[in-house]
Amino acid sequence: MEAIHPVFCTIVPPHVLDKLARAEDPALAGPARRTLEADAQQRTHRRLTTVIGAPSLAPSPGAADNKVHRLIHDAQHKTDLPGKVVRKEGAEPFKDATVNRAYAGLGATFELLLKAFGRNSIDGEGMPLIASVHFDRDYGNAFWDGEQMVFGDGDGEIFLDFTLPVDVMGHELAHGVTQHTANFSYFGQPGALNESMSDVIGSLVKQYVNDQTAAEADWLIGQGLLAERVQGVALRSMKAPGTAYDDDVLGKDPQPATMDDYVTTGRDNGGVHINSGIPNHAFYLLADALGGKAWERAGQIWYDTLTAGTLSTTPTFADFAQATVAASRARYHDGEETQALLKAWEQVGVPTTQKKAKL
Amino acid sequence: MLIQVVRTGGFAGIERRAEIDTSGRPDAHEWHALAGEAAAAGRGLRMPGAAIPDGFSYEITVDGQTFHCAEPQLSDAQRELISRVLKEGA
Repeated sequence: MEAIHPVFCTIVPPHVLDKLARAEDPALAGPARRTLEADAQQRTHRRLTTVIGAPSLAPSPGAADNKVHRLIHDAQHKTDLPGKVVRKEGAEPFKDATVNRAYAGLGATFELLLKAFGRNSIDGEGMPLIASVHFDRDYGNAFWDGEQMVFGDGDGEIFLDFTLPVDVMGHELAHGVTQHTANFSYFGQPGALNESMSDVIGSLVKQYVNDQTAAEADWLIGQGLLAERVQGVALRSMKAPGTAYDDDVLGKDPQPATMDDYVTTGRDNGGVHINSGIPNHAFYLLADALGGKAWERAGQIWYDTLTAGTLSTTPTFADFAQATVAASRARYHDGEETQALLKAWEQVGVPTTQKKAKL
Repeated sequence: MLIQVVRTGGFAGIERRAEIDTSGRPDAHEWHALAGEAAAAGRGLRMPGAAIPDGFSYEITVDGQTFHCAEPQLSDAQRELISRVLKEGA
């Protein structure tokens, strides 16, 4: 079905605009340049939001009532965000299962944050949860752009639809929570902590949805995301980092479980998806030692640490570990929680005592 | 013309790389135009400083000249070049 559209600047691809903006005729160059500037401004705004944290906006509609406000968009296989609104809060299920999974996953994450930690949405003030699905074509990724979640359909060869695992949706939304709280920078150890926090919350969402104890949970991230031909069960394992996949095309899961195997690399923003295995495993060890529902005590300590306001935006693993100990002592004193926590960090080789002077 | 693409980051954190040698290809001029446009959009941008969480980052090298770009700040030409090299390249 081919419709003829009038030419709007907004639907002209940037590379055409680039050319037009350089045109000698000001009637052509002017509008093109303005569109490019507007586009660049929007991107810069998003970039700044992820770097310096979100500005405080006017109170959201959900601020007062502790209710979720979801808005699911269909990017319609294009790359303009957010795309077309297809399901608003309270609307009936849509004819598209991907849309409905995103709606449910965002709802589950909102509920965990509220019920377990008393947090009202990403910003604590009822911020609407915005997601776009069907981003681009065969797009094997999901990301948080500073303001919303974005999910691809996968290429079908290696990755399936990124809305399939609920923990992936929790993971992306948790990036928003981190941005609005401790705002760990996305590089090196702070970046790996940012990633780990998202894996922890993502896994807790899955456990919460399935009403599982720490012993019952699979502690996998992205289980169900890999296509059938891939040799692997998931993308990461918090219980056994480094064992999630071993495949001809994907290679082997590179995650370390302890500091002995810490990976120094400039790739992947300094290995943020690699070394996150270490704090991930520490969380697992704590939750496993305590037993019961992982979000109740282990999750509470992690959430307290994230929101305590005592960490810089560039903490090392050791800084973070020390802050978890402080958070645990504040809530549980020297009880079994704190004892298990100290042991967990010791097992992964991250010191919890201050040895070095603060920079 | 040798066009190399390295993709890092992403939710999976798995690196992918591919390259295309356009010499002798019937569509070589098309590749050259696309690579030129992608590079023009990447010029002046340094290595992206603060990547967005789980976003892909790209390092693109055209005949030894390297530029960087990252999701979601990709021009259409960059997006097309990346997708074609990763799909058709070796």
